[in-house]
Amino acid sequence: MRKTLSLFILASLFAVSYRAAAQDVLSPQRKQAIDSLALEKVRDLSKYISIIGDKKTPWSDAQRVIERASELFMENSEIGVSSLGKQDVNYYKVRQYFDRLMQLNYDRVTIDWYKIQYVSDLVQQPDGTFVGVITVYQRFQAYDKEKGLVYEDTTKKDITVYVKRKETQIGGRLIGFWDVMLGDIRVKETSK
Amino acid sequence: MSEITSKLKSIRWQHVMFILLMTLMVAGADSCKSTGKLSKKERKAQIENAKKQLQPIISGTSTLSYEEQKRVVGDVMGMNLNDPVVSDMIIQAQQKLKALLSEQIQAKAQKVDVARAALYDLLLNKDNKTADELEKELNVIKRQNLNDTEIDDLIARLEKKIQNMRAEGGGSGSLTLKAQLESAFTTIANSSKTGNLTQANATIQKTLPLFSSDDAPVLIIISRQGSTVDYDKPTTIKRYLNFLVDMKASKNDIDAIMTDANGKIKELDLINK
Repeated sequence: MRKTLSLFILASLFAVSYRAAAQDVLSPQRKQAIDSLALEKVRDLSKYISIIGDKKTPWSDAQRVIERASELFMENSEIGVSSLGKQDVNYYKVRQYFDRLMQLNYDRVTIDWYKIQYVSDLVQQPDGTFVGVITVYQRFQAYDKEKGLVYEDTTKKDITVYVKRKETQIGGRLIGFWDVMLGDIRVKETSK
Repeated sequence: MSEITSKLKSIRWQHVMFILLMTLMVAGADSCKSTGKLSKKERKAQIENAKKQLQPIISGTSTLSYEEQKRVVGDVMGMNLNDPVVSDMIIQAQQKLKALLSEQIQAKAQKVDVARAALYDLLLNKDNKTADELEKELNVIKRQNLNDTEIDDLIARLEKKIQNMRAEGGGSGSLTLKAQLESAFTTIANSSKTGNLTQANATIQKTLPLFSSDDAPVLIIISRQGSTVDYDKPTTIKRYLNFLVDMKASKNDIDAIMTDANGKIKELDLINK
């Protein structure tokens, strides 16, 4: 009798948890929309970085863009900085990284991100948050007014992305949205 | 004279009184008898009439309105016919009327639901209908005379919207507004791409007054499957216009424009291209 009761409770628990899990499963189309959204946020960041690094960007615009770019990140996230001459990778808080980027001591800087793709697909965690890793290649070129191109490198970076479902009221409507937050940006390798 | 007096004295007044009383009683009974015959005929006719009136109500074939049917049943009840068949029919008719009322309430609720959904769609005007087209559909809803506060409110809002659309663009105001926004988005993105930030910023300054405030919400739909809609994190119009400058591209279509009483955009829904 005890055994039967235990089996019954176990089966009920399984049924409940299975149902709960089934409710959270997204259709392939919705999942694809979230995958694309996270990739798009990384592409947005690449544009922001390019604007911040551009010496022609007016200071006030750069500040506004830094603000928008910082909002893409989770609190206390860090961004790695490497260079060809150094073994070590320095990590800076997001805001500090952007400030340094804006003040780089070159006459012209170009930063391009390419091959932006998932290295680890978004996977749903027990708390409902999707977590994945997107890899990017960054081409950095620095110019001097007289000497021309003085430094360039290519860095492979991994960005952890977190996507969480949230809700908010707008105009009396309950809006369900996906909040994409970027985590640390880790340097994987730097080459010429 | 004395003879007359003695004759009067000899009359047995008790007998006279008895005869008079009997006569009166017979006459009285006769009178009652004749009235009773008339009432019975009338009653029979009334019963038949009542049955005739109640039958279509019970069978549901009456062409009268609910209120008229209710009055008929009330009139029959007021006759106090004390006929078991009529009494039974009254009960049946009352039950039928109850069911009819319930059906009517349900039908009205359904009509209100459909009208509400239609009015919200018209207010959002996702299909970019002209003011004339909106008015045509509004009139169909108005003709239903739903007498519902919420519906009346939505009708008033839509009337205001149509009025604003006409004031802006002579019958195709929403299209004009949409066209204005689409043009602004493209201009901002292209100007930024070609490095003409002055024009991009000028277009932003020209576009912002179309909105109720710089903080008017902008929602971007990333996926829509049936009734399930997924959005990107909500932003504001000012931020979105600057975003177009930064990205140098306009990657979203306009899905819906919601205006306030002054015809200003109070909310903008975009959708990924």
